[in-house]
Amino acid sequence: MELNGLSIDQAPPISAPVRFFIAAPIFGIIAGFLIFFTDSATLMSRYSMESIVVTHAMTIGFLGFIMLGALTQMLPVLVGAKMPKVAFVSKYSFLLLFIGVFAMIWGMLEQNSIVIFISLFGLGGGFFMMFGSMAIALKGVNNFTPTVKAISTSIVFASLIVLMGLYLLAAYISEDLKSSHIVIANIHSVWAVFGFAGILIIGVAFQVLPMFYVAPKFKSFCKKRVVWLISIGLVLWFGLSIFKEEYSLFAKAWIAMFFWAFATTVWLKLSARRRPISDVTVWYWRSASIFLTFGSFLWIFDEYFKHEYIVMVAILIGGFIMSIMIGMVYKVIPFLVWFHLNGMGYMSIPTMTEMVNKNLAKAQFVLFMLSLLGFIFSFYMPYLLQPSAVSFIISMILLEINVLAPVLIYRKISKTKPDFDMSSLTTTT
Amino acid sequence: MSTIKEFLTSDHSRCDEIFASMEAAANSSFEDAKVLCLEFIKATEHHFQMEERIVFAEFEKKTGMTQGPTQMMRHEHTQMRALMQDMFKALESENKDKFFGNSETLMILLQQHNMKEEQMLYPMIQQHLNAESEHLLEMMNAMIVE
Repeated sequence: MELNGLSIDQAPPISAPVRFFIAAPIFGIIAGFLIFFTDSATLMSRYSMESIVVTHAMTIGFLGFIMLGALTQMLPVLVGAKMPKVAFVSKYSFLLLFIGVFAMIWGMLEQNSIVIFISLFGLGGGFFMMFGSMAIALKGVNNFTPTVKAISTSIVFASLIVLMGLYLLAAYISEDLKSSHIVIANIHSVWAVFGFAGILIIGVAFQVLPMFYVAPKFKSFCKKRVVWLISIGLVLWFGLSIFKEEYSLFAKAWIAMFFWAFATTVWLKLSARRRPISDVTVWYWRSASIFLTFGSFLWIFDEYFKHEYIVMVAILIGGFIMSIMIGMVYKVIPFLVWFHLNGMGYMSIPTMTEMVNKNLAKAQFVLFMLSLLGFIFSFYMPYLLQPSAVSFIISMILLEINVLAPVLIYRKISKTKPDFDMSSLTTTT
Repeated sequence: MSTIKEFLTSDHSRCDEIFASMEAAANSSFEDAKVLCLEFIKATEHHFQMEERIVFAEFEKKTGMTQGPTQMMRHEHTQMRALMQDMFKALESENKDKFFGNSETLMILLQQHNMKEEQMLYPMIQQHLNAESEHLLEMMNAMIVE
């Protein structure tokens, strides 16, 4: 009988997801400093060492950490799957990944083989410990909803891109970059953006938009077919880009069409939502759908991806994926704090909206958007790069403050005596 | 004829609609919002009691599981009842920030609660109480809130 996730003692301890959320903005700040000290011409090429390092500080350090933290928390609630030994897995995979990302940044910038080797061990160990635990949890799920299918598919893509990533990273140890390196790097990045992050976001959106904003539900075709159609497109693109590159444009158009349709659907659903609230989370969903629309079409033209790298990264990784992740963090962390404290018997606690300073959250959003626009236009006006990097760094510092505020409330309140003894019901930590 | 799962899921949506109308009203009129808040509390309480007094009770009797998921759902109902009262008090004192703070917290709690019920508990209940489904639906339709 499938009971996982129904009770608070089946939910992971608050530290399991929260440690990932606290660490993520740190990597955002590091990425900002790396951009600040790099000239815009270097960031135009996706194969410069600086571009690779900045991209991975954001994708693994920022996005990867938020996605893993969110999945740790969401699997019991959205899917009804409990990760085995979740506290242990979260703690040690976090440590391995934290070391792994730092070592990758350092090792790649300094061209230090030993440090790159450490990053290989940290990233491989951390990711596969997490994915393994998630796969075991998903294996026990009986009710295969569209969200479960999307999460499972995205984890398959994630495992493949990590394997490819480790192979690419290992090449920097031996400094033996084979001719296939660029092809694999291309597949790695496209599957990461559209296969892992894109499909995960689509799957979560099926649940989150109707639930949190009382928006109209997604159509049955969308929920049942889109993830498969995108996956087929990604596999087709993979085959064509290796064997018949001249036709790969068709597969890209196929994939981009579905993401554009998703972006438009998100916009329309938010416009038709029944809840009138308009906070930063709504702004982030809206901005993500705009960036995704532009990004999907720009991506079809390969030259853009090759020579105007910073433009694509700012639009797809920053504007689409990071926007949604930041919006999600603003909802998830205050709720987790409230939920765990209330479950422990504390009744006089701040509400979710009282935990994060609204003005700081708005300032964070504005600075983040300004930085993205600055990065995009720095392709045409290179002098915009440094001020945009400063704006990005400040937005990440504000995000860290906004993440820490509810966590500090939790720490402070949990040290006091609860209003009620809930020990017979809960075993939260 | 709908199933227990369909019936209760559709009742979740009905409560969501009233909730959304209440929040919309709170932006312009506290009086209208109070009326809708009471309507929401009444609808939600009716839903909770249909579960606690009829469906959960029958499920517990049939499976012998009294300390399992139904107990936890009851616990979350208690959390939500307290939040609904806080929300109404905030409207009475015309404190918009407090009202929206409570409504946001309640909304997320309610939605994750509904999701667990719709995806895990209701299918399980439907499986165990399939034969009594029609009778239980009649009881739920006829139930008077205590």
